[in-house]
Amino acid sequence: MVVDGFFIAGTVVCLVSTLICVGAAVIRQPPNDVTILTVAAVELFLLVYAVAGIVRQVGGETVTGELWEFWGYLLTALLVPVGAFWWAILERSRWSNLVLGAVGLTIFVMLYRMEQIWDGAVPA
Amino acid sequence: MGRGGAGVNLHSKSAESAGTLSRGPGRLLIAVYGVFALAATARAAFQIATKFSEAPLAYTLTAFAALVYVFATVSLSRSGRRWYRLSVAAVGIELVGVLTIGTLSVVDPVLFPADTVWSVYGRGYGFVPLILPVLGLWWLYRHRRTVPT
Repeated sequence: MVVDGFFIAGTVVCLVSTLICVGAAVIRQPPNDVTILTVAAVELFLLVYAVAGIVRQVGGETVTGELWEFWGYLLTALLVPVGAFWWAILERSRWSNLVLGAVGLTIFVMLYRMEQIWDGAVPA
Repeated sequence: MGRGGAGVNLHSKSAESAGTLSRGPGRLLIAVYGVFALAATARAAFQIATKFSEAPLAYTLTAFAALVYVFATVSLSRSGRRWYRLSVAAVGIELVGVLTIGTLSVVDPVLFPADTVWSVYGRGYGFVPLILPVLGLWWLYRHRRTVPT
């Protein structure tokens, strides 16, 4: 797998989001503007990644792996922050911040797989 | 947000409508179950659609695992005795499944390729499939008296 700008940017956004959300849970804070905004940043990254994916493919770049698997991952990934946000704000306890923190971790793993599929790397 | 058993008991009256299992740490547990329901379902669909003939037994089991995760996610987030019993059954089946398939995959790697959810006790998923049912059963056991009838 080639480590490109998308992977680095996505990893940073996911890592920062998870650290802030877990940190807020440790100091017993319920979800607040900051933790919710970091999850929104993850969603924003995914939207940029999706638009860039379309632009790159229209521009002639090809997905080396299965095309529909890449888009399956991406469309599913776009739902994860939204679902976690909905599930977290139903109960405003510090545990909800851990739910929000799980978003960054999950999206990081999914981004790793999407990058592998894009480059045609064989999964372990 | 009672942290101890006593705290949960104090709140159980007001929590009856909300369901005690989906409160506090339970929210995180259910969220992780949700992620695994999603991941296993997608993986099962992909495996069955593209390479079912390579290992029909293993990929059928991935689909079964996906069903168990989806069911557990739903049942854990519901309140009431009936859903509680169904959760115990689902999480129990999950634990038996991961232990059985995990052991079989170590004994006979050809039968179960490495890329199913429960192979080698869920190694491909950071052993979360092994930890999750243990945490789930512990969470259910802790709430055995606080679940409304």
